[in-house]
Amino acid sequence: MIDVKNLCKSFGDVEVLKNISETIDKGEKVVIVGPSGSGKSTFLRCLNLMEHPTSGEIFFEGTDITRISESEMNRLRQRMGMVFQHFNLFPHLTIRKNITLAPVKLGLMTADEANARAEELLEQVGLPDKADEYPSRLSGGQKQRIAIARALAMNPEVMLFDEPTSALDPEMVGEVLELMKKLADDGMTMVVVTHEMGFAREVASRVMFMADGNILEQNRPDEFFSNPRNPRLRDFLSKVL
Amino acid sequence: MNGLIDAFKQNFIEQDRWKYLTNGLKTTLLITLFAVMIGAVLGFVVAIIRSTYERTGKMKILNFICRVYLTVIRGTPMVVQLLITYFVIFSSVNISKLVVAILAFGINSGAYVAEIVRSGIMSIDNGQFEAGRSLGLSYRETMISIVLPQAFKTVLPALANECIVLLKETSVAGYIAIQDLTKGGDIIRSQTFSAFMPLITVAVIYLLMVMLLTHLVSKLERRLSQSDRR
Repeated sequence: MIDVKNLCKSFGDVEVLKNISETIDKGEKVVIVGPSGSGKSTFLRCLNLMEHPTSGEIFFEGTDITRISESEMNRLRQRMGMVFQHFNLFPHLTIRKNITLAPVKLGLMTADEANARAEELLEQVGLPDKADEYPSRLSGGQKQRIAIARALAMNPEVMLFDEPTSALDPEMVGEVLELMKKLADDGMTMVVVTHEMGFAREVASRVMFMADGNILEQNRPDEFFSNPRNPRLRDFLSKVL
Repeated sequence: MNGLIDAFKQNFIEQDRWKYLTNGLKTTLLITLFAVMIGAVLGFVVAIIRSTYERTGKMKILNFICRVYLTVIRGTPMVVQLLITYFVIFSSVNISKLVVAILAFGINSGAYVAEIVRSGIMSIDNGQFEAGRSLGLSYRETMISIVLPQAFKTVLPALANECIVLLKETSVAGYIAIQDLTKGGDIIRSQTFSAFMPLITVAVIYLLMVMLLTHLVSKLERRLSQSDRR
């Protein structure tokens, strides 16, 4: 589904991603872990071109997305949902409007269809009574669940999660992870950058360890956690587990 | 007390002099209204060009033109701009003074509105742009549906202030012999040789208009802040 070839990304003189090649198949749940500054968020953000690669190619369903036009890029992003660390809900719009804005503006649904879909999604994320509230009235965990619903409203083929629980109070992490797990069980293709090792162990089909702009090791979660080979990974796991 | 009543009669009733004030007020309001509209449109366009350049590096030439416009307008006095617009730019064109004043005040106000709106746009968290773009919205759609409404709310008090400043600023329209409210009061003064009554009345009329505007804006602000309530 996603084919990354020799991906490099620099910010000024700083090389953040160093020649990464990787394939992500449909239905996979890839969890990326690693110390901060390792390039994992940048890697994720390159997949939907929130960051433009310095060099290398990224194929999505066979198309090299590093060479597409602006309007093709917008269409590509409709197919890839993204969830941010700081939720980034639109504070001036009600929850319902947050969810329906993009599908309606982009002409994918009529207002009625989008509203019906919003009801459905709110049900799915467990917040059916919040449609007419504004984001400022929700807790962090609720905001992130709405952000997930907003991304799902576009019926994406892949969901990208950029540290979705890092800005949450500890007691709210569970509800978001629970929802993500449900999503995974429904067969969604997911790429998740996170520090939640429990989630990685339980949900991932593959765990990736990144450090210094490289993928140093990856494996099935049971192997990854019980039998780490790379010394950097061993060191990292000893600190976080 | 009788003195005051006499002064009132002399300044406003005799020879229907009150008409200088009402006609002047009409002119003042007309200039302000249209100048605010021109200023708002111009200001938003310039602000969008400038912040687009700052965020994406696109529109380099337009951004340069906008910066020249801002520097010139904000660097010279309003009265001088008004005089130049009338006596230099439109000197050989047969055009209503009122239109000249509206253009001059509108273009002047646009520069201040532009900087206000730009500060509003830049104050919106980059995450809002990213969220919009990640959903597949174009830069333009993200700007219109997500960023500008929030920026507008942020800068509304400053924008209202700019309207108030503009309303008062139009009092220099007399420099090109437009009979606005201020000029109207001054004409009465020159006819009756009493300064107190006409000038204080003019001041009170400005004050009342400003107070009314301030009241309307705070009402609007309360309505817009609905989404902030916790």
